[in-house]
Amino acid sequence: MARLECINMQLVKRTTDRLCHYWAAVWAENIKEWKLELTYKADFARSLIDPVVYLLPYLLYGIALVGGRESESLRNLVGTADIITFITLGYVFIGFLNMALWAMGFSLRKEQFYGTLESVFAAPVPRWVFTMGMALHSILHQLLMIGVQIVFIILIFSIKINPIGLLPTLLIIALMLVALYGIGMFMASFTLIFKQGGLVSEALASILMILTPIAYPLAVLPVFMQKLALFVPTTYGILGTRHFLMGERIGFTLREAFVRLGMLSLLWVAFGLTVFWIIDRWTRRSGTLGHY
Amino acid sequence: MSGDSTVPALECRDVVKQFRRGRGFKKKVIRAVDGATLTLYPGELFGLLGPNGAGKTTLVRCIATLLIPDAGTIRVLGHDVFKDALFCRQQIGLLTSGERTLYWKLSARDNLKFFAALYGLTGKERDKRIEYLLGLLGLQEVANERLERYSSGMKQKVSLARAMLHDPKLLLLDEPTLGLDPQFGRFIRGFIKEELNKKQGKTILLTTHYMDEADELCARIAFINQGRIVDIKSPEEYKRDIPHKEILKVRCLGQFDGELLKGVSGIERVSAEFNDGVTTLNIVAERAEMVLSEVIEAVRARTRILGVDVQEPTLEDVFIYMTGTSLGADTKEEHETQYQD
Ligand SMILES: Nc1ncnc2c1ncn2[C@@H]1O[C@H](COP(=O)(O)OP(=O)(O)OP(=O)(O)O)[C@@H](O)[C@H]1O
Ligand SMILES: [Mg+2]
Repeated sequence: MARLECINMQLVKRTTDRLCHYWAAVWAENIKEWKLELTYKADFARSLIDPVVYLLPYLLYGIALVGGRESESLRNLVGTADIITFITLGYVFIGFLNMALWAMGFSLRKEQFYGTLESVFAAPVPRWVFTMGMALHSILHQLLMIGVQIVFIILIFSIKINPIGLLPTLLIIALMLVALYGIGMFMASFTLIFKQGGLVSEALASILMILTPIAYPLAVLPVFMQKLALFVPTTYGILGTRHFLMGERIGFTLREAFVRLGMLSLLWVAFGLTVFWIIDRWTRRSGTLGHY
Repeated sequence: MSGDSTVPALECRDVVKQFRRGRGFKKKVIRAVDGATLTLYPGELFGLLGPNGAGKTTLVRCIATLLIPDAGTIRVLGHDVFKDALFCRQQIGLLTSGERTLYWKLSARDNLKFFAALYGLTGKERDKRIEYLLGLLGLQEVANERLERYSSGMKQKVSLARAMLHDPKLLLLDEPTLGLDPQFGRFIRGFIKEELNKKQGKTILLTTHYMDEADELCARIAFINQGRIVDIKSPEEYKRDIPHKEILKVRCLGQFDGELLKGVSGIERVSAEFNDGVTTLNIVAERAEMVLSEVIEAVRARTRILGVDVQEPTLEDVFIYMTGTSLGADTKEEHETQYQD
């Protein structure tokens, strides 16, 4: 009995040591990305300001069409009329989606260009750690961008959100990010084997973008697309967020939303990791890893 | 188990690695490594010597788990690199030959910090190790500058520091002096031999296509050619075992060829090089002193002798003797088999 416990303790210690090591690697990857990004300060500043510049026309266009910031037809569809908040929240989501599909998908490709992919892959951490580090950097970058966007929008228009909804919003977004990580792993493996992996990214990005009710309510999609949209993790993210923050009516219960999103996240992560594992094997057999 | 000195630091057995190139009619299979077997014992400085395209880098990449061999086994400190990849990567310090293996936009210190975390070093322990290595390699003053401003010799020093971060037992150094000027080359060679091997007792696999480097550094050398390991011996054994033992070099005025020494017995082979009015006769003989007087007489009968020199065979001579190709030659693509399907 005592021996068994001892072995258990050792196992626990080894596992925690290992997890600490992996976490340190994830963090180091994140820090390294920030340092690399900040070597070009002008580009960095632009990456924060550009989104705001792109968002403004949408908002003004919306106001022009509706003739004010309140839309009766939007109220009929989703139960809230404030188009500014509606569009802003949706726009913020496009950022997250882009992050999963581009930043993460291209993380390993970027290392390939630097020439550092092999040095990094020779280190004693599993490959998913690197994409995780990239994901962390992208999320933080994204949050910073969102912060800038929100400040600008508030300065110009003021947005009305329900502060009590912030906590559940963060929860549902965190869950969605897990799913996006899975999608990101999937994209990362594609860019490792196809030099034109960007095309796959683009196609997938377009599909997800159309299916996710970002700039419009779910109800305006054709029925079969509404059904498909229910398999897309970002749908739950955006609908949940708007529900919590501005009281959008959604066609399912909150419990359903969390359960489905949880399952989608699991599925995507399992799928992404599996595809990545297979492709990593394949590149090491065929010797195409160092090429670009 | 890994502390046991009888366990080889590295063991490759019948390793085969093929690459497929092209499609359809042009499909080719390249046997980059063709049944390589070698064993490195703890503390050994072992050379893998061969011309361009011989398969050195491919073998190193297989050992470092960056490639999966098609056949054969590789063990690091008794652990299979395929089954126990994470353990083995922790034991290996890798220096790859390409220049771009670090982040050029980051400083040396930032590069080292990043890689240290990947190898499980954090906090004070990490900072101490980095400062120690920067000091050891004389990089402290430039450590905060971006690598893009470094010379290639300095970048190579940073790469060496990176390979040593986690104090690995086994170092894989792929062409560590490639493209460096003689001064840096000398520094790196001295560092590898004196500091890494003698002082720190590291087991080192060093690949190179420079004869002198292998000769100077390595206790044992594997000759590799077209993916096959031709032989493994010490430099002295190689030189002793080739049939021609010594080379007598005679420099004389005017242009002559081997005919000049026609009557001299005991000569195995003569070659002549003519340059700036001076001929150098390379006379291969069992023992130089046996033919010396006769050669001098024969030459003096025709012209003036400018100098006489007896040389031991170099590893280059050995390599040419064993493989028929010179080390300077590029054997890439030569051993490809072509398939049509
Ligand atoms: N990833 C790859 N895909 C296809 N062929 C490859 C690949 N890597 C190496 N080769 C081929 O395998 C052979 C051995 O190459 P390798 O790089 O191992 O030689 P090397 O001894 O390191 O030569 P060098 O001195 O040029 O570095 C060469 O013919 C090379 O073209
Ligand atoms: Mg090479």
